[in-house]
Amino acid sequence: MAYEKKKCWSILLRLYHWAFALSIVTLCITGFYINSPWTNSMTEGSASWPMAYMRFVHFVAGYVFTAAVLTRIFLYLFGNKQERILEHLPVTPRNIKNLFSTILQYSYIQDSHDPDRLGHNILAGITYVITIAAAVFQLASGFYMLFPEIAIWEKYGVMIFGSQQMARYIHHLLMWWFMIFAFIHVYLVIWNDVKQPEGLISSIFTGVKFTHKA
Amino acid sequence: MADTVNKTLDPHVNRRGFLKGCTMAAAALGLSESMVPKMVEAATSAQRPPVIWLHFQECTGCTETLLRGAHPDIAQLILDIISLDYHETIMAAAGYQAEQALHDSMEKNAGKYILVVEGGIPTALNGVYCKISGKTAMEMLEEVSSKAAAVIAYGTCATFGGVQAAKPNPTGAVGVDQLVHDKPIINISGCPPNPVNFLGTVLHYLTFQRLPAVDSLKRPKFAYGRRIHDHCERRAHFDEGRFVEQFGDEYHKLGYCLFKVGCKGPETFANCPVARFNEAGVWPVSVGHGCIGCTEPDFWDTMTPFYDRIPNVKIPGAGIVADADKIGTKVLGVTAAAVGIHAAVGIGKRLIKGKSDSDVG
Ligand code: HEM
Ligand code: HEM
Ligand code: SF4
Ligand code: SF4
Repeated sequence: MAYEKKKCWSILLRLYHWAFALSIVTLCITGFYINSPWTNSMTEGSASWPMAYMRFVHFVAGYVFTAAVLTRIFLYLFGNKQERILEHLPVTPRNIKNLFSTILQYSYIQDSHDPDRLGHNILAGITYVITIAAAVFQLASGFYMLFPEIAIWEKYGVMIFGSQQMARYIHHLLMWWFMIFAFIHVYLVIWNDVKQPEGLISSIFTGVKFTHKA
Repeated sequence: MADTVNKTLDPHVNRRGFLKGCTMAAAALGLSESMVPKMVEAATSAQRPPVIWLHFQECTGCTETLLRGAHPDIAQLILDIISLDYHETIMAAAGYQAEQALHDSMEKNAGKYILVVEGGIPTALNGVYCKISGKTAMEMLEEVSSKAAAVIAYGTCATFGGVQAAKPNPTGAVGVDQLVHDKPIINISGCPPNPVNFLGTVLHYLTFQRLPAVDSLKRPKFAYGRRIHDHCERRAHFDEGRFVEQFGDEYHKLGYCLFKVGCKGPETFANCPVARFNEAGVWPVSVGHGCIGCTEPDFWDTMTPFYDRIPNVKIPGAGIVADADKIGTKVLGVTAAAVGIHAAVGIGKRLIKGKSDSDVG
């Protein structure tokens, strides 16, 4: 059977994906360090500053993460067809149908897939939107902890989280969402790549997917 | 003219102590030395602001720290620059006399007095959990605050409900600003708060005729504008990654940072490292114990466990209370197991069917 190349992800979406993924890996490692620094410099005056460096890296990665999230929100509204938010959520009959067929497919009950759907399936779409929403809270709590004296962060930080401690707590719990999401995500991406020869993994590098020629 | 020879003041405060107190308050307020004479002048002017001090659901620790601290100067100074008309702990009057004093002061100084509240206000069952002379705390607060010029909530009980508001808050205790909405309120939180911050607020009011600038929790910024962690003397140890691992260990003796034994300095707004307590100039971290975050809302719920960084995760219904990372690791483990099973089923199915899914063409 013949395949044809179809342009699926814009360059901006691919840049966002890798900025997001790599910053999250960095943020989780440095975040764990900030929570429970596992080094303990025993020599006075060694000038190693591990905590200061870890925090610095965390904040730089935090800005990359923030830029990625803002890019994704822009693409939800102004991206190509596959990238828009309406293609992610079960809001049209076509999308609702896809949600159920995906669940059946993931449970090995039925092999079907949507021949005319180029973008994400809806189950994936929902978790991506939840992840971006979690990311907004993550960066809000992060900036509230980073700039506690700036009036706007102080005001909204207290309004949303109540106190620095609650912001830190929520920041920490949300980290677990990102880690669990990443784990399942990478598995399912590989699973889909094995099940369907559309070149899913390479699509997040090249932007191109392969579909059956009609 | 400043009363530099100390004629109007209580003889217990000598001129040196008086100036010292004013200078400390000026320092806490972040004012320059040149403001001290102005403050002295304001503090010694004839018009001492009338103050009514109410106690509700509390331990009186706030008053105790104020009176019994090793800063007799500060306590004396406060009592000298205000006219304390009603204070249940220290006034001589009792019973009807006391009631009369309260009533008289409210009438005489209507619209002019400062109301200081110490203690939380229970609101459950219409406030029956705290009654004084037949009136509930809620009724008293409403009555006395209605004629006040401003309200100072003194101590974490009065600002955020206090320890009695800890979950599940059986008496429905709340802070003053949940009940009083039509008066300027200053929250001087802390369990107990530093008397210097009370003195600073009052002197600010006397010197500038208005209350100091506050944050969004109504705490004066001069005292609660910055986190403990950002002006802690152990901060260099934090940045250099030198931490106490356990109380009493080698690193504890060396005075390293208390972050890993649960110091809440990074989450707590207060000036303890700068203002310090008692004549000895100490504060918790300086004597080897982490900050417990007592100036923050709900600190009894959110800052506990005191010797861990973040609260435990409570799963309602299941009765599970555990460390966030332990639960996170378990969830990740279950996820990994589920992924393993999912993959195994896929492979098994393929073996049975005898062909690979991608052989569709
Ligand atoms: C997926 C994204 C992120 C993850 C997984 C993450 C993780 C963490 C963790 C685990 C902590 C330690 C909290 C604790 O004590 O338990 C932390 C602290 C912190 N994070 Fe993040 N973070 C993320 C994004 C951000 C962003 C976008 C910012 C904003 C610039 C940020 C700023 C901070 C700050 C200011 C702290 C406190 C550092 C300190 O007090 O020394 N984080 N983060
Ligand atoms: C080896 C690493 C990874 C690979 C190969 C990979 C691959 C992919 C692919 C192929 C897609 C498109 C999937 C679809 O159409 O449903 C995708 C989307 C996505 N990935 Fe990854 N991913 C990786 C790591 C991560 C990590 C670590 C994160 C973050 C925790 C992440 C977050 C996302 C998100 C949020 C999307 C949705 C994009 C959108 O918003 O449209 N990925 N990834
Ligand atoms: S804030 Fe603390 S010290 Fe003050 S009355 Fe309440 S419990 Fe006592
Ligand atoms: S002792 Fe506490 S406040 Fe001081 S640097 Fe360490 S964590 Fe921060």
